[in-house]
Amino acid sequence: MVEFGIEFVPSEPYWKTLFYAIQAEKRGFNYLWITDHFNNRNVYVTLTAAALHTERIKLGPGVTNPYLINPVITAQAVASLNEMAPSRVILGIGAGDKTTLRSTGLEMQKPLTAVKECVEIVRRMVSEKSVTFEGEVFKTSDAKFFFKPKMRIPVYVGAQGPKMLELAGNIGDGVLINAGHPKDVDYAVGLVKKGVGQVGKRLTDVDVAAYTSFSVHEDLKKAAEAAVPVVAYVAAGSPDVVLQRHGINQEKARKIGEALKAGKWGEAFGSVSSEMIEAFSVCGTPEMCIERINDLLKSGISQFVVGSPIGPNVRKSIDLISERIIPEFTR
Amino acid sequence: MDYHRIVKMIPVEKREKLSTKLTDFILKSKNADKMPSSLAKTLLHHWQQGPLTNDAGLAVILEVAVTLESDKTLNLLGEELQLSDVVTAIRAE
Repeated sequence: MVEFGIEFVPSEPYWKTLFYAIQAEKRGFNYLWITDHFNNRNVYVTLTAAALHTERIKLGPGVTNPYLINPVITAQAVASLNEMAPSRVILGIGAGDKTTLRSTGLEMQKPLTAVKECVEIVRRMVSEKSVTFEGEVFKTSDAKFFFKPKMRIPVYVGAQGPKMLELAGNIGDGVLINAGHPKDVDYAVGLVKKGVGQVGKRLTDVDVAAYTSFSVHEDLKKAAEAAVPVVAYVAAGSPDVVLQRHGINQEKARKIGEALKAGKWGEAFGSVSSEMIEAFSVCGTPEMCIERINDLLKSGISQFVVGSPIGPNVRKSIDLISERIIPEFTR
Repeated sequence: MDYHRIVKMIPVEKREKLSTKLTDFILKSKNADKMPSSLAKTLLHHWQQGPLTNDAGLAVILEVAVTLESDKTLNLLGEELQLSDVVTAIRAE
């Protein structure tokens, strides 16, 4: 059975994000993921408020990165959060994105090693008395908390590239696959399988989540309009191999990227084609979304994450997902 | 302003529609940054506890809506829902 997660970008005042988070819990979602970008509201402040206003839903950053937030601080944050939401805290870790890191003066050095070491440090910090770690990227020397977290935190590795997907299967309790099209998810799950096989695990030992850009509305046109801005960014940031997989013109994607960079939103969004929406989002009427989720289930996913924009009216879309989509998978 | 007293003037059959419309007003409001922090906490508390259609929930959503989207809210109450007595009560406070 597939579980449903929902992602929020804390770009609006905290009470709006919290309003939707409470609604998501009431409406049967199992996981709440909050994105971590320094440009928006702080992820742990948002999660703290969410922990205090919810009772059941699992919650965590989706995803944080080891460069901006040192692993011991990530461990401290999730351990503290766990006091407010015992056994509900989850942790998504990825390499981050180069552009955002550069704007803070950081370089994405050895992303695979950094993520691997970060996961180990976090796990040890929340379970051991003291951690001394000699890695290639991170080092700790008798690092310890003055409180006892005594927890085991499910760590999800956010992955898109082949090596990171393999690593995610290898070390993760879960993997967040940044894609919503069966072609991409099939490809990704194959690599996750390879990763789990290397350490004697089965795919079912890992929670495989499709972390999608999602937009639902009764009217397909309205759903698509809402998806366009997010799809523009995804298309512009997609590697050539992914564009080729979907038969998308690379030059067109590059031009969207240039328009976005120049702040020419009309030009960028106007260049998003229906093929791009199909490739980079799960978008449409409830029936169309159900069909797509069924296709993704065949690839082996166990969690479906409804990510931005969710729909033209987030409140109505959460209700629509709850009333029309989730029941199709929980009967 | 005593919104608990004012919501008692709203007929039961109009509460759900009113609550839904006011919720959309506040969630789509461009004045979200004008939300007083104490009112935000009250709103989230009531939303977590139950629907925003009971007396306590409707009182807080109405107060938020009047704070963030006064004109739209009064127009909805007076024109669409024909609750002119409620509009008068809000204006009188």
